[in-house]
Amino acid sequence: MIEAKNVNFYYGDFHALKDINMTMETNTVTAFIGPSGCGKSTFLRLFNRMNDLIPGTRLEGQCLIDGEDIYAKSLRVDDLRKRVGMVFQKPNPFPKSIFENVAYGLRVNGVKDRAFIAQRVEESLRGAALWDEVKDKLKKSAFELSGGQQQRLCIARALAVSPSILLMDEPASALDPISTSKVEELIHSLKKDYTIVIVTHNMQQAARVSDKTGFFMLGELVEYNDTKKMFLNPDKVQTQNYITGRFG
Amino acid sequence: MMSKKTSQNIAFWVFRILGLVVVAILFWILGFIIYHGAGVINWKFLTTAPTDGMTGGGIFPAIVGTFCLIVGSMVVAFPLGVMSAIYTTEYAGNGKLVRFIRIMTNNLGSIPSIIFGLFGMALFVNALGFGDSIIAGSFTLGLLVLPLVIRTTEEALKAIPDSFRTGSLALGATKLQTIRRVILPMAFPNITTGLILSIGRVSGETAPILFTVAAYFLPKLPTSIYDQVMALPYHLYVIATSGTDLEATRPIAYGTALVLIIIVLLMNLLASFLRRHFGKKVKTN
Ligand SMILES: Nc1ncnc2c1ncn2[C@@H]1O[C@H](COP(=O)(O)OP(=O)(O)OP(=O)(O)O)[C@@H](O)[C@H]1O
Ligand SMILES: [Mg+2]
Repeated sequence: MIEAKNVNFYYGDFHALKDINMTMETNTVTAFIGPSGCGKSTFLRLFNRMNDLIPGTRLEGQCLIDGEDIYAKSLRVDDLRKRVGMVFQKPNPFPKSIFENVAYGLRVNGVKDRAFIAQRVEESLRGAALWDEVKDKLKKSAFELSGGQQQRLCIARALAVSPSILLMDEPASALDPISTSKVEELIHSLKKDYTIVIVTHNMQQAARVSDKTGFFMLGELVEYNDTKKMFLNPDKVQTQNYITGRFG
Repeated sequence: MMSKKTSQNIAFWVFRILGLVVVAILFWILGFIIYHGAGVINWKFLTTAPTDGMTGGGIFPAIVGTFCLIVGSMVVAFPLGVMSAIYTTEYAGNGKLVRFIRIMTNNLGSIPSIIFGLFGMALFVNALGFGDSIIAGSFTLGLLVLPLVIRTTEEALKAIPDSFRTGSLALGATKLQTIRRVILPMAFPNITTGLILSIGRVSGETAPILFTVAAYFLPKLPTSIYDQVMALPYHLYVIATSGTDLEATRPIAYGTALVLIIIVLLMNLLASFLRRHFGKKVKTN
């Protein structure tokens, strides 16, 4: 379970997230939608503390994962990031072989057992629905894969360290329709093992993959509801306008 | 009044001629040295010591000495330069201290090399008691090229997109792991280019080795880092200005110059080849 309690976030003087309260249940898919610059990525990055890398930022309020304050002093950021995986908008595989890309998270974890690594690599690639396409060329450079395959490789890479949560920031926006639908199917199948949060600009995609949807505007969480209700009969008029505007 | 077109044409030709003049001078120098020096270069010249008051024999000890100084100065400058570049680009952010360090390294790079020679003599030869030695010369040359190593390494690191850093950190890698396993391997070709450029620089410098290592005449090869050595640029200076019989040593001087030029040119060619070769590779990803 992921919780945000009275979260305010600042880039210097800029108030990017305003008093957000939100709870995301385990083994659900939550979609964040909203106009560009409304703070979706900023909010998402709070949960694996990637915002820590940006100088001059400040967080107020609490972010909890299974009840634990992930900004507590005693918590190690690299441990948190092993539990909370992230997939980026643009596929960013390392200039290494396909195998080494997936093994990377294990290796930096100090895992040395070759057989275990090989097994985890296969499981992760299967989990990311990429195994059949790459099983004969694991030693090839990851750059030889297509964009869609690279993105699924990045998902496999994130799965390899056995996180419980997957954060995805517009994971399909750089992909063609076929690759996109593959990634969407993948999200479906991952749901039983992972808690997934996905940012998307594609309303149909949010409607297809998510259980709940949060609509953000100007740093505020305007509405957070079951996806069905959100798209059929939202509580707020801004949500209605945004969704229909995008569809129409 | 001239028409606009004509004046532009004239300007164009002036620039073109000036450009050609520069190239012509360069080739003239090269051709001159090849013309006078190529004749003396043979296997014996490259593998024997000078004889007959340096009017005969070869330049082997100077080649060996220059080689020792290249290796020594790189051992000094490379780890130090790469580590400080890692610090300034990956760790230090953009605070006052880093800007200060950057300005100082740039200043260090514009100090005349004779000053490095004097400093090296004061510090390494005298204060630290190394005497005239390979180690004193290596430290002096190492300091001289440190700014170059730092700058090329910084540029190599900055050329790597942040998405690789965030990708690695997001998998739970520490910053150090990210640098060691992802960033440095990617930056390696460009860092190597900097290394090779520094080798070119080191092999041609005379002033820094003048008071710290270079021997006037020392046919014996060094056996430890506390020995003096001959070195190509200084040897050239010696036989061109203070030999016993300047006329007789002239061909040897040109031969030495040619060997030196070939080493420096090869290093620069290798560097630009590497840069182009790997530059392409990184772009296609
Ligand atoms: N590194 C940063 N420094 C300063 N301001 C930032 C930074 N990153 C984002 N912002 C600002 O914070 C606000 C929210 O940005 P964010 O990237 O979270 O939006 P988003 O909803 O993900 O937008 P998009 O749909 O375009 O990805 C924007 O106004 C943006 O300008
Ligand atoms: Mg975004």
